[in-house]
Amino acid sequence: MTFQQVAFRGMATASKPRAIKAGLLLSRIPIVTQEKTPLEKQYYDYQSELERRLMWTFPQYFYFRKGTLSEKRFLAAQRGPVSRQPGVWFPKGVPDVKHNRERRTKQEITLPKSSESESLGGANNADDISRPVVPNSRTTDADRENDTTSLERQLSSTLYLVVKDAAGKWAFPSFDVPLDSEAKKPLHITAETGLRELGGPNINTWTVSNTPAGVLADAQAAEFMIKSHIVSGRFVLQPQKQYDAFAWLTKSEIQQRVEEAYFEELSCILADN
Amino acid sequence: MRFIRGFSTTRSTCKSACSLVKPVHHLVKIDKSKLSPRFEELKYPKNDIRSPGFRPVATHQDRVSDHYHNTLQSDLLLINYSHKARIERGAKKREWDNSSPYHLNRQLRKPKGSAAQLPDIHPIKWHNIPSLESVVINCYAKESKENQLLPITAALQLQQITGCKPQPVYARTDVPTWKVRRGTHMGAKIELKGRPMSQFLSTLTEIVLPRIREYKGISNRSGNRFGGLSFGLTSEDVRFFPEIESNQDLWPKTFGLHVNINTTAQNDVQARTLVSGFAFPFHGPERTK
Repeated sequence: MTFQQVAFRGMATASKPRAIKAGLLLSRIPIVTQEKTPLEKQYYDYQSELERRLMWTFPQYFYFRKGTLSEKRFLAAQRGPVSRQPGVWFPKGVPDVKHNRERRTKQEITLPKSSESESLGGANNADDISRPVVPNSRTTDADRENDTTSLERQLSSTLYLVVKDAAGKWAFPSFDVPLDSEAKKPLHITAETGLRELGGPNINTWTVSNTPAGVLADAQAAEFMIKSHIVSGRFVLQPQKQYDAFAWLTKSEIQQRVEEAYFEELSCILADN
Repeated sequence: MRFIRGFSTTRSTCKSACSLVKPVHHLVKIDKSKLSPRFEELKYPKNDIRSPGFRPVATHQDRVSDHYHNTLQSDLLLINYSHKARIERGAKKREWDNSSPYHLNRQLRKPKGSAAQLPDIHPIKWHNIPSLESVVINCYAKESKENQLLPITAALQLQQITGCKPQPVYARTDVPTWKVRRGTHMGAKIELKGRPMSQFLSTLTEIVLPRIREYKGISNRSGNRFGGLSFGLTSEDVRFFPEIESNQDLWPKTFGLHVNINTTAQNDVQARTLVSGFAFPFHGPERTK
């Protein structure tokens, strides 16, 4: 008897059909880049500094036509290289200047301040092209307050929606698929409509595929996990539902909240970051 | 009596001596500059830090490739999953039926319904998830046949947009109706890979394409059947690249581009799914065979 025959016979002798559930893995994909490890940071810093040092000299003749006022302004804004003198001690190393370029380090270019920004007298002028680039903070208010219901937390990692049922157990939201033939709907549609009922209509999601990404099977029910991404909107838990709390959590935070067996079943389909 | 050589013997038996040099069946090219001891550092490969042509590659985090590995790869595996998938054989060359004696030693018959052999389509598993391979941008300036300075401007435009060094493009044949002569310098092209490719794609999807008036997206009929997509940018669209927009007085003339996205996808549908994951919009009806 082949393995297939055994498997089919096993299915045929099962006593009654198990309940089918559509689980939902609703994720918010990362918004900013990964957090760099100290080693990565040093490596990238070194490599980019090396690249800048090996770069061609800035072709100022291309951007500032010779003999024009803009060229004069540009040249006045530059801090030229330190030239080499015999018998002089240079604390930062002996200069190696070729074509008005210090070759040992990267070339520093300072753009001249435009006349309007000078007259306004501030570097905080939004139209000034030479204003410093200030990136936004990677940690948000939600991170500081540890507000797990906010979508604007842990910007560099994937967040998943988990809900708490009346028994106090945390899990991914799951919805029953009716087994009678009239009300029968595909898994992904069951999951989508269930999410709208649970989290309100102001939510825009994209279901990745109608194929489930995984299955949690036990004697009573089989729960098929449908993968989906939140694109816009907010999840607002509607009252009088089977769940009484929700949270947007990363993989490691989910591990701390859910049961160990549940997590081990599903950990392979969750994003690591 | 004349000695007649049989077909079974070789000519060398007639000779009194033979050469001891082993026969060389192909030309072995020797780069003599490599033999000279004068420029030792030129012998190192370009990725060796001792080589004068060395340029660091991994200078920053690659945002696009991070997105691919964190989010897109697992989604593509799920999207392309099909139950009980099997290898779909592409059209291959056929045997002759040997009904005629002339079929012996004849070249194989061409595949059914195709001029060339087609590759097999393998089911998508963890090891062949579609990914971006390269982006080739080519810029063919039609007016270059009258003005040989224009292809230089086109190359400079590509260099400004991508930050990499372009290669010149020459006319391959004489086309009398277009007044093109073979060997005329007609434009430039660049093959982008790795970080420059990511940089170009994110500039395109975040800055350039959203600002094009009434932009609909890449045509759904685009594609070379084997996982390569192409689309064009007009000379007005190219002006939206920040490098060109910030000093417009330097660019009295800009040139349109063709952008070819090469992926490891096995057909166009997979390639479109992949490329749409990098926020490229698509429009129009799909090609049905």
